[in-house]
Amino acid sequence: MEHRRTKAAIWAWTLFVLVAIYLPIVCGALASFNKSRYFGFPIRTYATEWWQKTLDSIEIGMIVKTSISIALLVTVFSVVIATFGALAFARYEWKGRKLYQKLILLPIFFPQPVLGLAMLLGFNAVGIQTSWMTAVFAHMVWIVPVVTLIIAIQVYGFDASLEEAAYDLGCSRIQVFREVTLPLLWPGIWSGMLFAFLLSWSNFPLSLYTTGADSTIPEWLYAKMVAGYTPMVPALGTMATLGAAALLLAGGLVGILARRRAAA
Amino acid sequence: MLLTSPAALPDPASPPKPILQLVGLRKSFGGFDAVQGIDLDVREGEFLTIVGPSGSGKTTLLRMLAGMDTPSEGNITLHGELINDVPPNRRPTCLVFQSLALFPHKSVGENIAFPLKVKGVDAAARKARALELMRVVRLPESYFDKNVMKCSGGERQRVALARALAYDPEVLFFDEPLSAIDYKLKKTLEKELKDLHRETGKTFIYITHSLEEAMVMSDRIGVMRAGRLVQVGTPEEIYGAPVDRFVCEFVGEVNTFQVKRGPDGAWNGTDVPGTFTLQPPASGAVLDEAFVVVRPEFMRILAPGESADNRLEGVVYNEYSLGSRIQYQVRVGAKVMLVELSRGRALPSSADRRVTLGWDAADAFTLES
Amino acid sequence: MADLAIAHPERQAAAESPAQLRQDRLLSVGARCALPVALLLGIGFLAPLVAILGYAFATPRSFDVFSSFTLANFATLFDPANTVWLSFFWSCGLALFTVAILAVVAYPIAYGLNMVFGRWSALISVLFVFPLFVSENVRLYGWVLFYIRNGVLDGSLKWLGLPGGPEVLYTPGITLFGMVYTYLPFMLFPMTLGLALVPRDLVDAARDLGAGRLFIWREIELPLAMPGILIGMLLTFVLAIGATAEAKILGGQSIIVISHDIEIAFTYSQNWPLGSALAVVVTFFIGALTLFALSKLDLDRMLGKR
Repeated sequence: MEHRRTKAAIWAWTLFVLVAIYLPIVCGALASFNKSRYFGFPIRTYATEWWQKTLDSIEIGMIVKTSISIALLVTVFSVVIATFGALAFARYEWKGRKLYQKLILLPIFFPQPVLGLAMLLGFNAVGIQTSWMTAVFAHMVWIVPVVTLIIAIQVYGFDASLEEAAYDLGCSRIQVFREVTLPLLWPGIWSGMLFAFLLSWSNFPLSLYTTGADSTIPEWLYAKMVAGYTPMVPALGTMATLGAAALLLAGGLVGILARRRAAA
Repeated sequence: MLLTSPAALPDPASPPKPILQLVGLRKSFGGFDAVQGIDLDVREGEFLTIVGPSGSGKTTLLRMLAGMDTPSEGNITLHGELINDVPPNRRPTCLVFQSLALFPHKSVGENIAFPLKVKGVDAAARKARALELMRVVRLPESYFDKNVMKCSGGERQRVALARALAYDPEVLFFDEPLSAIDYKLKKTLEKELKDLHRETGKTFIYITHSLEEAMVMSDRIGVMRAGRLVQVGTPEEIYGAPVDRFVCEFVGEVNTFQVKRGPDGAWNGTDVPGTFTLQPPASGAVLDEAFVVVRPEFMRILAPGESADNRLEGVVYNEYSLGSRIQYQVRVGAKVMLVELSRGRALPSSADRRVTLGWDAADAFTLES
Repeated sequence: MADLAIAHPERQAAAESPAQLRQDRLLSVGARCALPVALLLGIGFLAPLVAILGYAFATPRSFDVFSSFTLANFATLFDPANTVWLSFFWSCGLALFTVAILAVVAYPIAYGLNMVFGRWSALISVLFVFPLFVSENVRLYGWVLFYIRNGVLDGSLKWLGLPGGPEVLYTPGITLFGMVYTYLPFMLFPMTLGLALVPRDLVDAARDLGAGRLFIWREIELPLAMPGILIGMLLTFVLAIGATAEAKILGGQSIIVISHDIEIAFTYSQNWPLGSALAVVVTFFIGALTLFALSKLDLDRMLGKR
């Protein structure tokens, strides 16, 4: 049947593209287990020594700590700001809403290298020394709009009369927010948190210009790719990827379990 | 052309030949049998309505007839030809969706002309035909360029109908198109649909959960329950001779009670006191236990000395106005019986609340329990 | 919560202090919820753009922002002797090709996510999102390892006794490949959202009215999914205009793209005013395009209000 053939073709194409998407990640993982300093395929001797060296390196330890600190702070601040931002985006009818909906997209529709440079200039103009803390702010400019959109999708599916009912039943505004709004938006907020952390974790163009003397994992990797390649580059890259995958998996599982419990 | 000659209309003398035949039709969705074995002959030119509560499988049945789902088992034949696997765009049938499925990016005229565009009819002829159909469904000509999303509920119904007619199908299917319309407009559209059926002479198959809708429009009604057709018949037959308790209760409010045959052969009430004279069940079965069903409008409140085949003593404890009629709730032992009287025969407010209910054997049905 | 206040005027009046009431009148609830985001973007997005604008009019090769005014930087940019137009040309060309290729690559997948994959859709979506959480230079470097001489492709082919892989690294072609690769999710997800806006009923109805697959695609699916497809195209175009990593890592600087030019002005040449002027031109171009496209879209409908 013609229809079945089309479906098979769509499946085949999708799987092909997926393989292509993960191919370079697999290449990186392969290179990290190469014993020799320079990459050649097929690999003659496999070794875990570069992984060991990466784990032992004090410099890398500090860089990982910087990356985690930035990502954690970005997550906390972004989710709070974006939750309110999403309510303004999708829940309330107010005068500036249509304009606000479009303006909030602009940072997403803006090349990040240029945005990073612009922020460097801005910090410079007002005399702020750049460090990992300025990077937190820089990441938020891009991540808050993304998280706002993610939570907004949840807000659209949310029946506003529930809030009114709770208010009518005697809840104060804070109680309404805590008892009704927050629990119902939780799935969206949770995905927003995962996105915020992981997008900050993997960000390179904004970090490049706004971390000052500090360095994040993607920055360190880029510096070594340009000059000073060792298999520690793919090793750290693969570790960062595995870390992101583990977090996504754990976050997804928590989300599913929470939904199960809510449904039970 | 839209209007067919009177010869195409069903001739009451000889039963019209079936246009659609369903034989042993089944559909299961991963272990769940939505439709479980339906046999039905649809006569050419009739208005057939399938009624049933939600979840009874009527929408699944309709989607199979329209070609949007394929049957798991059984056959659908149109004019004697098997059409199980014929895709919807090759079937001379057309469905009016519950959502109406009007194309939001096209005007009223473009929506109606869509099937003509598919067939490759040129623009001028498309427009002429669309305007003609707009007249048939009573839409003003000025609506041709109107955005469908700006039309009212009733206007959208008419656009959907005109679009289906533009396809010139032999059978039109309707999936509860009137369910989201307010009562008054619904009544108007029901009558218009009935008129349209007569004028076009096409076969209409309509599904709904509202028996009232079915009664107003249909030549025949099929009652569906849990994936099966329980009864098919004229509105009169469904109302007057329901085959079982489900059809009976679906058709309207009823009084029911149980009886058992005593050693002397007489029918004694199980949950109400007394001995009753009953008609034999329509199925002809010989029973020892049975269900008795009396419609509220056949129940009377007997005046002293008035006779009836059967009687029950009770106490009136509630009355409701139904407009031209009044309904009484009468407690008989542990059961509550409903009696509907026309306003002219209402109990005077001073009357004794203790009453005698009565009905004749011919006005009740006896069903297998 | 002004909208709640409408439902309960008396309770509102009783519970609120006059100061709060005054605040209610000043800003609606929606506006107050939007305030933190607005502040963040005001300081973090608009202010830097203003700073860039300031630098763009500063004396070349100086750091005298807001204290000098000159058009010299723009004059340098538009001087025919300057080759910056070449970078601009490369960026636009690469971006256009990226959009065109991605539209073709992503459409079947977006269609599949909506209509074919069923319960696998969620997993497949996650698999397409995940690469966003891996730094783009890590992923692009993976391609270097794949295509490099004695890399995964070349090495495998030689191992099989074949002459070895083609020399594709450090060419404009591989830069384009890298951009298509990096921006796939940005085309795929808006497109999927767009296709999800096409009600199943409409496709069924069109089919029921006799339309074939191609006719339905042209008359129903494509026009109704267009908002999503356009957002995807705009997003990938804009991001591709600003892309640098692909040209640097895969392209080996065989071509200089526009944002790389901006970077060079800021770093090697230490000419912040010139870099800023260039950034202003790019921002203006992108901003005009984005605002024009966004003004045509109804985001409520796109994101879920049905």
